[in-house]
Amino acid sequence: MNADPRKKSRAGKRLFILAAVILALLVLNVAVPRRQARPLLSARTLKDLAELATVEYSVTKIVSYKDVAWYGDRKILFETAATVKAGIDLNELVDQDIQLEGDDGVTVTLPRPRILLFNMKPEHMREIFNESGILRSDFSNEEKDGLLSQGEKDIRAKVARMDILERAARNARILVESWLKKMGFATVRVLFKGKGGRS
Amino acid sequence: MKKIISLLQLIALLAILMLLYSPLAKIGLVPSLSSLLGGGTPKIEDTPVIIQQVKNIAQMFTQTYYDEYVYDTGVMRTPPFNANKRLIFIAKGEVISGFDLSELNEKSIIRRDKSIVVKLPPARVLDVVINPSGFETFIEEGDITFEDSKKFHEDARRIFERNAREKGILKNSAEQGRQMLEKFFRLLGFETVDIIIPESR
Repeated sequence: MNADPRKKSRAGKRLFILAAVILALLVLNVAVPRRQARPLLSARTLKDLAELATVEYSVTKIVSYKDVAWYGDRKILFETAATVKAGIDLNELVDQDIQLEGDDGVTVTLPRPRILLFNMKPEHMREIFNESGILRSDFSNEEKDGLLSQGEKDIRAKVARMDILERAARNARILVESWLKKMGFATVRVLFKGKGGRS
Repeated sequence: MKKIISLLQLIALLAILMLLYSPLAKIGLVPSLSSLLGGGTPKIEDTPVIIQQVKNIAQMFTQTYYDEYVYDTGVMRTPPFNANKRLIFIAKGEVISGFDLSELNEKSIIRRDKSIVVKLPPARVLDVVINPSGFETFIEEGDITFEDSKKFHEDARRIFERNAREKGILKNSAEQGRQMLEKFFRLLGFETVDIIIPESR
């Protein structure tokens, strides 16, 4: 109870110095600007393509996220849709891939199909549910974009495991055969390049 | 009294540590406190991807236009309290143009011995692609709803298409299509190849 007054004043001084340091750091915190990604300059470029898209998948996915905490939850739900086009890259076609056989026969070896385009249009997205607890902040647009990007990544991965490439190959074969027959070729063979050769 | 002073000193030291850490996090030298406490990137739940439609198409992509665009909504005032809101984002994506070959019919291909005439439809913009991963929020102020942000994203897509057209995507697309098909038909043994492409609007 009867503490040494010199000790007391030393403790008081120490507290005063700490308070001054805190004040100085607060000023520093306000002064240091938050690092923001610098916007990149426009990179407008045109590039030649030679791709034949033969199948289009329209898919949907519910993107849901729950942020559960003891001081309140945040939950959000989106309905999203994407179109995915697959086909063949004709740039990979080389002279040897087209073999003429007599006057009216031809064998064409096409490259293996791949996914050519993935498109998630904003007009096909809908926020179905969005709720934040009283002590929680609302979802920012940046957070929503981040969640939708994860949805995009998931759709890409799952569509790649579907039969889209098989369908693309089948349709490419039908298309090329019918065009070549329209051009007057009686015998048309369409093959696909395999990993180790033609198939 | 002594205990209270010690506690105050401890709190002050903790505050100093946090205030020292915060500017370092702000300039990106150390991870932010929220990301340390929150455990990093939030993970969405695993939900299925459902196929709604499968369509057979015949589209020839002959040109792509890549763009990065900084979209600034400017300061918007919202009633009733005239609160300011503003969104600046960077959009990255592409515009694809080419030909819809499903429009070809019997009359589109005319063959006479070693010469061939192919009438293509006009080149057109087939897709404008800016996926969610292509949007990067730079500044977000005030209450911007999902519907607001969707409207701005759609507007960015229109700007991409307009820029691509101004850059001559359709003209280049037609030229590339012509060259590509000419090469293909010559490989098929045709000596005279005539590709007719109407001008795009």
